Amino acid sequence: MPDAVSTGPALLEIRGLDAWYGEAQALRGVDLEVHAGEVVTLVGRNGAGKTTLLRSVMGLHRQVSGSIVFDGTDLAKVPAHRRARMGLGWVQDDRGIYASLTVEENLLLPPVVSDSAWSTEKVYDAFPVLADRRRAPGTTLSGGEQQMLAIARVLRSGARMLLLDEPTEGLAPVIVSRIRDIIHEVRSTGGTVLLIEQNVKFAATVADRHYLLAQGAVVESLDNADFQARQGELLEHLGI
Amino acid sequence: MAMNELLQYTIQGLAAGSFYALAALGLAVIFGVLGVVNFAHGACYMLGAVVAAVLQDTLGLGFWPALLVVPVLLFLFGVVIERLLVRWLVGLDPLYNFLLTFGLTLLLVDLVKRQYGVSGLPYERPEVLTGQIEVGGVGLPIYQLFVFGFSLLICALVWLLMTRTRVGMIVRAATERSDLARALGINVGRWVTPVFGFGIALAGIAGVLAAPFRAITADMGSNFIIILFAVVVIGGLGSIVGAVVAGFLVGLVEAFGQAYAPTYAQIMIFVLMAVVVLVRPAGLFGREEAAR
Amino acid sequence: MKRKAAVSAAVLSAGALLLSACGQGGPGSDGGAISDDKLVLAVLNDQSGVYKDLSGPNSVKAVEMAIADFEEKHGDDAVTSEIEVVSADHQNEPDVANTKAQELYDRELADVILDVPTSSAALAVANQAKTKQKLFINVGAATTELTGEQCNKYTFHWAYDTYMLANGTGAAVTKEGGKNWQIIYPDYAFGQDMENSFTAAVEAAGGTVGGTIPTPFPNDNFATFLTKAAAKNPDVIGTMQAGGDLVNLVKQFNEAGLADKGIELAVGLMFITDIHSLGVEQFAGTSFTDAWYWNMDEESRAWADRFLEETGTRPSFAHAANYSAATQYLEAVQRAGTDDADAVVGELEGLEVDDVFLRNGEIRAEDHRVIHDAYLARVKSPEDVTEDWDYEEIVTTIPAEEAFRPVEESGCSM
Repeated sequence: MPDAVSTGPALLEIRGLDAWYGEAQALRGVDLEVHAGEVVTLVGRNGAGKTTLLRSVMGLHRQVSGSIVFDGTDLAKVPAHRRARMGLGWVQDDRGIYASLTVEENLLLPPVVSDSAWSTEKVYDAFPVLADRRRAPGTTLSGGEQQMLAIARVLRSGARMLLLDEPTEGLAPVIVSRIRDIIHEVRSTGGTVLLIEQNVKFAATVADRHYLLAQGAVVESLDNADFQARQGELLEHLGI
Repeated sequence: MAMNELLQYTIQGLAAGSFYALAALGLAVIFGVLGVVNFAHGACYMLGAVVAAVLQDTLGLGFWPALLVVPVLLFLFGVVIERLLVRWLVGLDPLYNFLLTFGLTLLLVDLVKRQYGVSGLPYERPEVLTGQIEVGGVGLPIYQLFVFGFSLLICALVWLLMTRTRVGMIVRAATERSDLARALGINVGRWVTPVFGFGIALAGIAGVLAAPFRAITADMGSNFIIILFAVVVIGGLGSIVGAVVAGFLVGLVEAFGQAYAPTYAQIMIFVLMAVVVLVRPAGLFGREEAAR
Repeated sequence: MKRKAAVSAAVLSAGALLLSACGQGGPGSDGGAISDDKLVLAVLNDQSGVYKDLSGPNSVKAVEMAIADFEEKHGDDAVTSEIEVVSADHQNEPDVANTKAQELYDRELADVILDVPTSSAALAVANQAKTKQKLFINVGAATTELTGEQCNKYTFHWAYDTYMLANGTGAAVTKEGGKNWQIIYPDYAFGQDMENSFTAAVEAAGGTVGGTIPTPFPNDNFATFLTKAAAKNPDVIGTMQAGGDLVNLVKQFNEAGLADKGIELAVGLMFITDIHSLGVEQFAGTSFTDAWYWNMDEESRAWADRFLEETGTRPSFAHAANYSAATQYLEAVQRAGTDDADAVVGELEGLEVDDVFLRNGEIRAEDHRVIHDAYLARVKSPEDVTEDWDYEEIVTTIPAEEAFRPVEESGCSM
């Protein structure tokens, strides 16, 4: 199955990406590609550069060199909001729910960017709790509900590629399995996902391929079969 | 008799608070979206009054059209200032923010002094707003009631704009987390200039309202800005509801302070500020509750 | 060619003869009589702040006019042809005034310092005058201390003071029937001084001061203070506010409709520039004491016309008083034949003089208070105003000897 989707031009193609925070280099020559319809994880210890990589793709970290091409367009000169409108949907690790916006306003904030956008009804059908709390300030939701809202928000905007930063971190098993279902659904409808995941077991159940990051560089690229076979070794590498 | 005076002090406090509320609202919106504390806000309030007086003197523009024309002119002034100067503050040390906007204050004040002197400018009130109305045997100045009512109306409109429209939603989102809003496809940069102009225009409305009621001098904003920062700290920097509530609150503290402890009237405002900062460092309506 | 040269030579030698003739006649040629071979008149005042319009750069203009008139009057007989004006901004700060006064006397070689509004700044300069033994003629400040306990040999007080203001307005308004007063005053030295003087004047004239209300300074909101004062049902509310604060208070007095309730507003210190800035309708009917008014007679008006040409605006009494002070100083130097401070003081002391500003003027030798006629003025109604700056109607003239503090009460010993 991975082979089937890996053919053709990549939806996201990163070549020789370096990133700095002042003098400190956070990414070193990262090469990475994600094809349309794939689910790919970034695995690595804290500080390996995973979040910096997603922020660089989103255009929020600007101290970078190298090339990031999305859907055939070099993103170097494209500002963050235009990247979002091209179909990149970012869900940051703290979920990024606005306190000053209601649940529904949080949901409706991003502009609709493609035909694949979920309708508000579809979102509320999928996440009834959001419908019940639609008038409440966003941050009055529980952590798990906020994660649902954050993902629902980019789905409603019609993002073609989700960038999820540790979507399962700190959440109860029942919520984690709900997120797994969502990722499966996205994939089944042709969506693409690049996610950061520390939970190796969870990663193995949702992803087609995996990149292992260490000290800002890609040290290995694995398909899911290899990944599962080497789980024990990887866990040790991650220090988990 | 005592009740009469209480009523009078209350109206006086609310009228004084109206100027603070409107101006603080502008300050809050600008800080929210730009992250810029506009120390020139007092000077913009002054400009509102001076422009109204000059337009009345030269073109015979009355008070009512001035309430529309002057904010529009100040909006344009704000747009120019933002495009030429304020935009360069992005990403710089906050010290530059202070230097630029404070320097702008000095420049504006001295330009007005140079052009119009220091004694101030005359301003004619509209006839319909002069005099008093009797409420329960107490004569209340119509103009003070008008100032309070009009500024409440403006505050309510701004509140509706912020809570009931997509523009308001975007402004709130940009206020709370600008980078996230951009990552969600909002072109925050596009809103920066109009929001700055809008904030300046609100100070301009306060200035026009002050014109018939206060001395129109180049220095009229100097004391005002000091109180204004107390208002903003009490209300919570960047909070829209906080700015309005604290504006009226400070006006009332000022009026009752002047009535019962004149020597301590201004000190009381800063004592209130200190207490708020100790108990709720983020202000009465601090960041978490911004705009709600 | 040759003829031209011969003519020039003749002109030159004639000129030289003329010069030497002058030299013998006029005291100016005697290099020792005028220190540093020039007279320097320094104007030290507020060039940028709240008093800029009522004194400021236009006081410098008034002094320049005095010099021009002096030169024209005396021509070649003038004690010196080298007369300069320098000016400095004291920003109404006593510390700045103190430093600037030293600079003016020492570095700019000033023979006299003029104007200096703001009482605390004026007292600082008076102290420098005493130390440096150079002249100081105060015009702009109000404190009676200059001719009271802090008087000195080299300091003169020209135009007005708090006693004159209080005595004029307080006594006159009380005698006209405004018996019951409430006084609102800014809570700093000038305001406290004025409040004391007014209370004394009102009580001496048979009135009572029912209450006094101190206010912050500066302040833009007087509504509450006015409500408080009005609640006592006074005949008169006296305000000691000045400048922008006064304008704020008057606007809010009118807003509260207090005149309709039969309460009269009496202003402690007001300049014509205040009326001009607020508009005559806001002040209409207000009583105050004026030291001089530009349109009070032909002589004043003629000078005010010249001033208007020079500056584009009508003079305040402070402008006229600076002109008067500079003129009388120059005349004293002319009479003394020297700019030696002690000699000039000797010429000024006890001088009885009339000029465009001083009417029935006398420079009292005992305390250096310059006394002259003062005027109780009332602001005209808008319909009575016939031209720009035509704002005042002189109600009564207060004779010089009644207008100012009697010399025996001054407490001055030189």
